[in-house]
Amino acid sequence: MAATAATAVLAALRGFFGRFRWRPQAPALAGGVRGAARSAAAGRPDYDLLVIGGGSGGLACAKEAAQLGKKVAVVDYVEPSPRGTRWGLGGTCVNVGCIPKKLMHHAALLGAMIHDAPHYGWGVPQQVPHDWSKMAEAVQNYVKSLNWGHRVQLQERKVSYFNMKASFVDEHVVRGVTKGGKETLLSAKHIVIATGGRPRYPTEIEGALEHGITSDDIFWLKESPGKTLVVGGSYVALECAGFLTGLGLDTTVMIRSIPLRGFDQQMSALVTDYMASHGTRFLRGCTVMSVKRLPDSQLQVTWKELASGGEGTDTFNTVLWAVGRVAETRNLDLEKAGVDINPKSKKILVDAREATSVPHIYAIGDTAEGRPELTPTAIMAGRLLAQRLCGQSKDLMDYDNVPTTVFTPLEYGCVGLSEEEAVARHGADHVEVYHAYYKPLEFTVAERDASQCYIKMVCLRKPPKPVLGLHFLGPNAGEVTQGFALGIKCGASYAQVMRTVGIHPTCAEEVTKLRITKRSGMDPTVTGC
Amino acid sequence: MAQRLLLRRFLASAISRKPPQSRWAPLISRALQTPQHRPGDLAITPSQARPLHTTRVCSTTFNIQDGPDFQDRVVNSETPVVVDFHAQWCGPCKILGPRLEKVVAKQHGKVVMAKVDIDDHTDLAIEYEVSAVPTVLAIKNGDVVDKFLVLISRPFWS
Repeated sequence: MAATAATAVLAALRGFFGRFRWRPQAPALAGGVRGAARSAAAGRPDYDLLVIGGGSGGLACAKEAAQLGKKVAVVDYVEPSPRGTRWGLGGTCVNVGCIPKKLMHHAALLGAMIHDAPHYGWGVPQQVPHDWSKMAEAVQNYVKSLNWGHRVQLQERKVSYFNMKASFVDEHVVRGVTKGGKETLLSAKHIVIATGGRPRYPTEIEGALEHGITSDDIFWLKESPGKTLVVGGSYVALECAGFLTGLGLDTTVMIRSIPLRGFDQQMSALVTDYMASHGTRFLRGCTVMSVKRLPDSQLQVTWKELASGGEGTDTFNTVLWAVGRVAETRNLDLEKAGVDINPKSKKILVDAREATSVPHIYAIGDTAEGRPELTPTAIMAGRLLAQRLCGQSKDLMDYDNVPTTVFTPLEYGCVGLSEEEAVARHGADHVEVYHAYYKPLEFTVAERDASQCYIKMVCLRKPPKPVLGLHFLGPNAGEVTQGFALGIKCGASYAQVMRTVGIHPTCAEEVTKLRITKRSGMDPTVTGC
Repeated sequence: MAQRLLLRRFLASAISRKPPQSRWAPLISRALQTPQHRPGDLAITPSQARPLHTTRVCSTTFNIQDGPDFQDRVVNSETPVVVDFHAQWCGPCKILGPRLEKVVAKQHGKVVMAKVDIDDHTDLAIEYEVSAVPTVLAIKNGDVVDKFLVLISRPFWS
């Protein structure tokens, strides 16, 4: 097939069968870029919409606006991590978040399945080695294909793209600087800031910056991280520690106070219990004091045990900091545009329309204050914003009942309120919690421990008992939770969930069979069909 | 296999029709002529023409270094150029590339091939409207005269 195609090409080159003659157009941006300062001064902006940040939110907003006929430009730039890691177009999710995370999580789950396989008759050797470099290369190659895909999409939708670091000159003009130092001025009628966030380095800890890495780096390592200390109790920390453990690496998680702050704490405890009984070491109530590089290039970490005041120490190959993320607003010169931020979080203050303190400047995604740090909300908010700016719609983004899933070894999917939030809002007497411990069918033959497989549904006690929150801990939690999120969005009641017939045999059907309340004190363990 | 035989026959007839003033011919004949001696010159003898020919065959495929390099060796090339836009992450590219190189090498310099890694030269690839990879362009006198994309499928069991 290739030979035939090659024949055609060679024939065309001889000039006899050339199907067309074509030369590329000169880049369309020429006039706009050079004339930026002039046209801005003349009151005629280069673009209808300028988007700063080429991540989930920024790209969605830009593409939607372009589709609706606006002249749009995207400015994206990735400051290398302290370790020197850099990546292409697409933002955190594509490059150093959701995508590589889920792929590595899947790689780890495959390891568990290989372990289960002999129970089902497969002649798989018990000790199967994992090759980090091979996995990493495959993951990194896929991410690179996504970078390219995004670039092509922008081109196809006629969105101008600039790989430059942006900062405000004034409220309508942005300065872009290339890696090589070349400056360009861009002016726009509307500006959307979607610069996202980056991991925080605890620079107050000796050796943290010099010797540690973050989630920005872990997915781009060519060699295995080896024995790793993950510091933090966030979902980033637990998801990373989870797949590292699953891939066979000696992994320790150090949590200063509580895991998964902001999530339902009963569920969070079950998540960490599962990890602890499946090979992850936990150091609870500890903080790192110093990280030192040893002559054999290992890292010596010393920590303090907060309760006892005692100290601990151990050596690791890698220290991964997962102690929070910081909004990327530092270098934007926001004061020059008059855009206000929360001085503590550094996030941009926005209203329900995603508008900042400056009417024609907006902010979406991780960089905006009070928003979930999730790709789908950034994307939807970006699209709705574009539609509103183009006069196509008046709909605002609804940030309530946003489902999400933590992809720890045993996955945790949730939508709506946590039990503690529901109790805080409505009072314990007005809340009914239905719950059940269940056992996935696939765990039985493989003799897997299902102690933490658990579901709870938080409802209002008053008829019709609307469901306030659903929490599912088990395999494929993301797939399970997605459909129920629709139900909650439509205001499903407990009775409606109970009248929904379950699909058998699945784990999801257990949601439709929740009969036992916490209030009753009865044993919530599911027994058989 | 049958395709390759067809290709060889097709190209053989094409080459024989090609006008003798092709760019490579004068170089070969110059090398074969008795050289004009100049002080300090190394004498070029006819027997040294053979390594020259071999080198040319190996250099019928080259990697593009940057924009100016593309301008120089492709757009401004007197010889028609097959441009292979490929990527490290693209499986089919790894299959197509060597096959194309072989076919082009057999043209003995009548056509050459430029390889462009689209991750290294994204702007160039975008300029030439590449979307899926591999994309192969035929460029003659600076114009794109043909283009093809290759979708290589294999049964999942092979």
